[in-house]
Amino acid sequence: MRATLGNFDNHFRFRHNEAVSAQFTGDGAQSPGTPPAFQAIDAYAAYDGVTVLNGVSIDIPVGQTMAVLGPNGSGKSTLMRAMLGIVPLASGEIRVHGTPLRRFRDWKRMGYVPQRLTAGGAVPATVREIVASGQVARRRRLSWPTRDDRAAVDEALAAVDLSDRAGDAVRELSGGQQQRVLIARALAGRPDTFVMDEPMAGVDAENQRALAKAIARLRDQGSTVVLVLHELGPLEEVIERAVVLEHGRVVHDGEAPEATGECARPGHEHQHPHPDPNDPDPNSADTSTPAEMIRLEVPRRD
Amino acid sequence: MTELLQYEFMRRALIAAVLVGLVTPIIGTFLVQRRLALLGDGIGHIALTGVALGLLTGTSPVLTAAVVATLGAILMELVRVRTRTSGDVALALLFYGGIAGGVLLIGLTPGASNATLTSFLFGSVSTVGEQDIWIVGALAVGVVAVLAVFGRELFVLCQDEDVARAHGLPVRFLSILLAVTAALTVVIAMRVVGVLMVSALMIVPVAAAQQLSRSFRVTMGLAILIGLSSSLGGLTTAFYSDLAPGATIVLLALALFCLAVLLGGVLRRVTKRRAPAPSIPWRRVRRIRCPRPMGGG
Repeated sequence: MRATLGNFDNHFRFRHNEAVSAQFTGDGAQSPGTPPAFQAIDAYAAYDGVTVLNGVSIDIPVGQTMAVLGPNGSGKSTLMRAMLGIVPLASGEIRVHGTPLRRFRDWKRMGYVPQRLTAGGAVPATVREIVASGQVARRRRLSWPTRDDRAAVDEALAAVDLSDRAGDAVRELSGGQQQRVLIARALAGRPDTFVMDEPMAGVDAENQRALAKAIARLRDQGSTVVLVLHELGPLEEVIERAVVLEHGRVVHDGEAPEATGECARPGHEHQHPHPDPNDPDPNSADTSTPAEMIRLEVPRRD
Repeated sequence: MTELLQYEFMRRALIAAVLVGLVTPIIGTFLVQRRLALLGDGIGHIALTGVALGLLTGTSPVLTAAVVATLGAILMELVRVRTRTSGDVALALLFYGGIAGGVLLIGLTPGASNATLTSFLFGSVSTVGEQDIWIVGALAVGVVAVLAVFGRELFVLCQDEDVARAHGLPVRFLSILLAVTAALTVVIAMRVVGVLMVSALMIVPVAAAQQLSRSFRVTMGLAILIGLSSSLGGLTTAFYSDLAPGATIVLLALALFCLAVLLGGVLRRVTKRRAPAPSIPWRRVRRIRCPRPMGGG
């Protein structure tokens, strides 16, 4: 597993050097005049008459690594899905890179990482097929993949250390490995704006740390990364800003909340990272004590 | 085999069987992936109304079936999206509406009998006319063209609708496109196996291919191979043994499915024994060359 982390490092260092430009120095500050990557303006959304987003307004500048936190039902996933046009707004507006979502066409800039590989897809598919499908927004119709397309897929597979599993069926992989496939799929389109829905859920501790490193590298190369999280966990170091939702409203916006580890608090739910039961080699899983992994994911309103 | 080709009607039947064996598993792969395996069945029922309309008005039943099945497919897709909670019930309503409409209209048609109805319900490949062949051929070209152009998008759509939206793909258009393509495929296959068994040729070859493959493309390639073997093998067997062609084709496909399950089990066992590294037999299966309608990386 140490080798895994090493590969992450090497790969992203390479990409980092390639990608760093005058525009993205150090912490990925945006140049003046660049519109925010995402802008929610007084966003309302409802499911079956129940309000889920209750007037959310946030700007996410280009180059920021931001977490959207909140308890179950707080609207954090809905906000993310609304930002991508998966869920329609009842009122308000979403702007993506300065363009209203309805008129946004530059989808190849977007990399979406869903929470899990869906049950959809009863037909087997290889890791490579899934990862290559992430290029759908940038590939032309009726064309064979170019050398560059193939290189992007290879690079994405290497970034998540799955190059040697490229020909395997995704359903034979463990949960943590499938999560890495989904991240590779987003990377394969070479986007600069990532939206990830709880990438750490159900992933063992070792894979979590590997994913955190990958996300840190994306941040370092100037990408915008929006993460919907249940808990900060190993991502605590990576997150530059945290927005906390409760009942569809923003209740905190700023520094990532301190970890306090008060798991026993009433109403608190957390997910311990744990070895994946499907992992073919359980001995390779992390053996850290649960106490180390506990992080606060639902900070209370101050 | 030469004996088979002496008859004009058999030559036409063989052409129809090749087209059906080729096209149905392609669309079937997408339908299985989207977990809409029974969509073809529903469209088949609706197509019967179209057939009856053709008989009643004296136009080509294949053409009217294509029109009615397409409209039905669009309606079904809209019903599926709009009434998410009771989608299957809504589909069932359309199924029964389609089959009842068909039976009623055929009853109104002067000169039509139960035999006419039976030939469309269970297929009658020996009565395929020259005009039918041209229509079926054109539909087959259309279906393959649609899947060649939109295959990559449809793969993403069938894998995960949310991801398709997040890629900016026109999800509703693609869903309707898939349903309409399925409807046209149903019409192609209708003459060979009949509306009641049309879905079998879309689904059974894919179910068989899944047992032997790890990749989407190989599954589709194997499914085409199994579909062609069933349709041609079934038709030939039916000719020499004087059996119902539609039923023979479907039963042969099911037999191939059973064979694939057994073979898949053996392959998996061999794979396990040779563990830990991914084993050689699987890799061989995976590398079988097959058409690449996806054109993906």
